[in-house]
Amino acid sequence: MDNEVYSFALKSALNEIQNICPDIRNSFIFREEGEIVATDENTSEKLVVHVMDSFDGVFEKADAIGGVESIILEGSKGRVNMSCINDLYLVTVTSRKADTNYVNTVTQVLIPTILRLLEKIHPAPLKSKTPSREAEIDVPALNETEEPLMEEPEETPETETVPSELPVNQLIIENLGGLLVPSDTVRIDSETLSEWEEFSEGAKIEEVEVETFNGKITRCNVKPVKDSKYEGKGIIRMPEKIQLNLEVKKGELVRVRPIVD
Amino acid sequence: MAKKKKPIQEVAATTEPLTLEGLHMDDLRSNLEEIKTYDGVIGYILRNSTSAAIDLKDPTKIIDYAILSSSALDASEALSEDFNLGSIRSVIVEGKNVKVLCLTASDNRISVFMDKEVNYEEILTKLHSH
Repeated sequence: MDNEVYSFALKSALNEIQNICPDIRNSFIFREEGEIVATDENTSEKLVVHVMDSFDGVFEKADAIGGVESIILEGSKGRVNMSCINDLYLVTVTSRKADTNYVNTVTQVLIPTILRLLEKIHPAPLKSKTPSREAEIDVPALNETEEPLMEEPEETPETETVPSELPVNQLIIENLGGLLVPSDTVRIDSETLSEWEEFSEGAKIEEVEVETFNGKITRCNVKPVKDSKYEGKGIIRMPEKIQLNLEVKKGELVRVRPIVD
Repeated sequence: MAKKKKPIQEVAATTEPLTLEGLHMDDLRSNLEEIKTYDGVIGYILRNSTSAAIDLKDPTKIIDYAILSSSALDASEALSEDFNLGSIRSVIVEGKNVKVLCLTASDNRISVFMDKEVNYEEILTKLHSH
């Protein structure tokens, strides 16, 4: 089953839920890193992107409360409920008169059931939009052609925390600034992160070790880049504080290793 | 991403009246001081355009909590426009350990932080009952 079928199954489920709960005005599913998994027929992708952008700041600082499990937003004319199911976020928008218990019961039972079914039918549901990921792992030579900045696994220096087979990527520094930008977090292409996660047998990569060519090393948090213009370009977006610590600047190359605890 | 803030006048015109509106900052603060004595309540942030009152048990989390609650309220305004939700009565962000209740009254932004098990409805009702 490919991603399209997976999304189609969830989209159909969302539409059916809306049929049995007409008070649901919109419903959709997305991942924190910005991937739209499924939307109902009333909800445009543009709208979902705007919602995800709106929640960015909340996700950024959610570590302070142990991550986001749910968000409930009550308005005078309607209500938004966002709940975390595994690593997905299900959002439902209901009218004010909706029976929230009924809506929650339906959505919180049906969607997880469908997700479990899909997992059973196909145990590796859409982790990434690249279906040939497993083939890349089996044939390391492909990395050389598809990602010229990635070093060969044999050259990877071993560390205590990183299995030897985990790759080391050479990435170009790009500035990362802004009022709400955490000074201890770099941002890397989500595809690279997914690749590392697959290499580390699904372990979530939350930290990386960044090494300069002068031998300076630092360990920092990592999140996927938000801006699509930085995707697939071998870029690491780095706050000024980390650049100062490492004595590097925009445009320079650094080695980046995933940390797997 | 800069978010468009809804003018206060517009909020007042389109919303159901909140009982908190018109309350003086001091009244709100004393109200929150009482709420802070409830079991499981970690603290609060009360902020408007001219002043702020913060009382949190763990001062090292002040910045994170302040940004989190501010982001939640900004997001609620954006979503209200996206989905025509009207005035926002409350926003609850629930984490694995802690949840936060955020609301806006006039130009006052209120956030109450509490353990996950605490019934926020009781606090919301208390805030709205004054």
